[in-house]
Amino acid sequence: MEEKKAKTQEIIETEIQMGTVHPAALEPYRVRFFVEDEIVKDAEVTIGVNHRGIERIMEGLPVEKANMLTEKICGICSNIHVWNSVRVAEIGLGVEIPDRALYLRIIVAELERLHSHFLFLAHGCEVLGHETFSMRVFYMRETIMELLHMIGGNRVQYGCSIIGGVRPRCDLDESKLIKITEGLDTTEKNLKEFADRFTRDTMLLSRVTGVGSIPQEQAIKLAVTGPSLRATGVKKDLRTEMFEYENFDFDIITQPDGDVKSNLLMRVLESFESIKILRQAIKNIPEGKVVDRSWEMVDTDIIKSYIEAPRGTLYHSYAIEDGRVRGSIVRTPSMANIGAMQYASIGSHITDAQLCIVQCDPCFTCSDRAVEVYDFDSHEKLDKSILQSNIL
Amino acid sequence: MSLKTHSRSKAIHVMLVYTGGCNGCDIEIVNSILSPKFDAEQYSVFLTWNPREADVLVVTGPVTNQNRQPLEDIYNAIPNPKLVVAAGACACMGGVYKNCYGDIQSEEIEGPVENIIPVDAKVPGCAVRPQDVLSGVVASLPKLLGAD
Repeated sequence: MEEKKAKTQEIIETEIQMGTVHPAALEPYRVRFFVEDEIVKDAEVTIGVNHRGIERIMEGLPVEKANMLTEKICGICSNIHVWNSVRVAEIGLGVEIPDRALYLRIIVAELERLHSHFLFLAHGCEVLGHETFSMRVFYMRETIMELLHMIGGNRVQYGCSIIGGVRPRCDLDESKLIKITEGLDTTEKNLKEFADRFTRDTMLLSRVTGVGSIPQEQAIKLAVTGPSLRATGVKKDLRTEMFEYENFDFDIITQPDGDVKSNLLMRVLESFESIKILRQAIKNIPEGKVVDRSWEMVDTDIIKSYIEAPRGTLYHSYAIEDGRVRGSIVRTPSMANIGAMQYASIGSHITDAQLCIVQCDPCFTCSDRAVEVYDFDSHEKLDKSILQSNIL
Repeated sequence: MSLKTHSRSKAIHVMLVYTGGCNGCDIEIVNSILSPKFDAEQYSVFLTWNPREADVLVVTGPVTNQNRQPLEDIYNAIPNPKLVVAAGACACMGGVYKNCYGDIQSEEIEGPVENIIPVDAKVPGCAVRPQDVLSGVVASLPKLLGAD
């Protein structure tokens, strides 16, 4: 007679997929978690549902129009896209920008960094399940949004930079500067109180400490950029290399662990640095004109420009031919951070997986813009510069 | 006032769908309903992510190819009576993406939202202002409350 044995239960690897439209993920993207015993063994983030072909639309447009179009790439960091696109043309055409315009650009860019970081904090706290903190950060963010509305005339897309400077309507007089200072005072006070409350909340800290950590070597290997890289302890900020920020004194914030806690604190501390830069800019803003229109349009080769967006390194490049854009390439920071999102969710509990993705501050709507050119017959990948000769 | 109308007016649930916009409108709408500044909950308007619970569907973005099917599915999953609010320039007329080549329209974009599902209210703006979204939802409410 056979011995009776309890059948060992086989652990079946399950696949949990979310998307493309899913309540937990605000933006449309698809993610697959390969789960074993409620622990994520592997993750796969797929983007591509938002592809609108903005680089193709830019092809052949006049440079000024194309610059305005880059604003529609992202609704969170809209100004930095215009700035970088304008910067490409300015480098190529050798345009000298008035000092006052540089300061105005920095003021808008840093205010934008503040609202982007606050959005991350609010969204992060919401995913954590802490609605009260989320509301609190949204309330702080409103002050910044009102300042941006005052400067640009719109809450999201303010179209500040143009070739040669900034739009005259974005010029700041004395009363507006005072308003910004007051707004910064309130924000700093609120942020300090929030940070104080946040770091003393043991329950919240136990929820975020050690979750979704990325080791430093792995982050470098995955080419993570921006605050997500700095949260793993790498001291790298493109603002230190940009000539616009030469006259400003600020620190590069780093955090040790690369987990959710480091990422959240990273944004809080970096917001203080942004406030510091803004204070200096308001104090030292030079007099003079805001736009220099004495430039001439010439044909140029492909020009590249790297800039520090709120989420990391942003890359724009195009060539100018007859005053029109040729072969535009845009690479947004979230594109580089997708690898980190996948890596961070591995090994965590399935309930924390969404948090691990959110900790890298994803903005998938701005990532979907890669254009690849393939040969029709041999299916070989071609250099993208072929677009410059074939179309139009 | 019938019982159904009475109970509906006490809790109006708004669902938001992103169909490939730039994130600007989406955040403004989430902001208008969630954030303490605008706070739609004081008018008993709540944000939900469950289509079976929703009364009003707010659509943003120009509806890319890939997003057409999910949008139709979500619309069909919402029980009657339902309202659709198209928020933002992209949802209303395709925005900068649809008509970018003059007469030749972009192939990537299926929108505007009208082409796919019937729209009851349009909220213009790039990006929409939170106040406008609230007034758009409120303006279309009589249709919802007047239904059987």
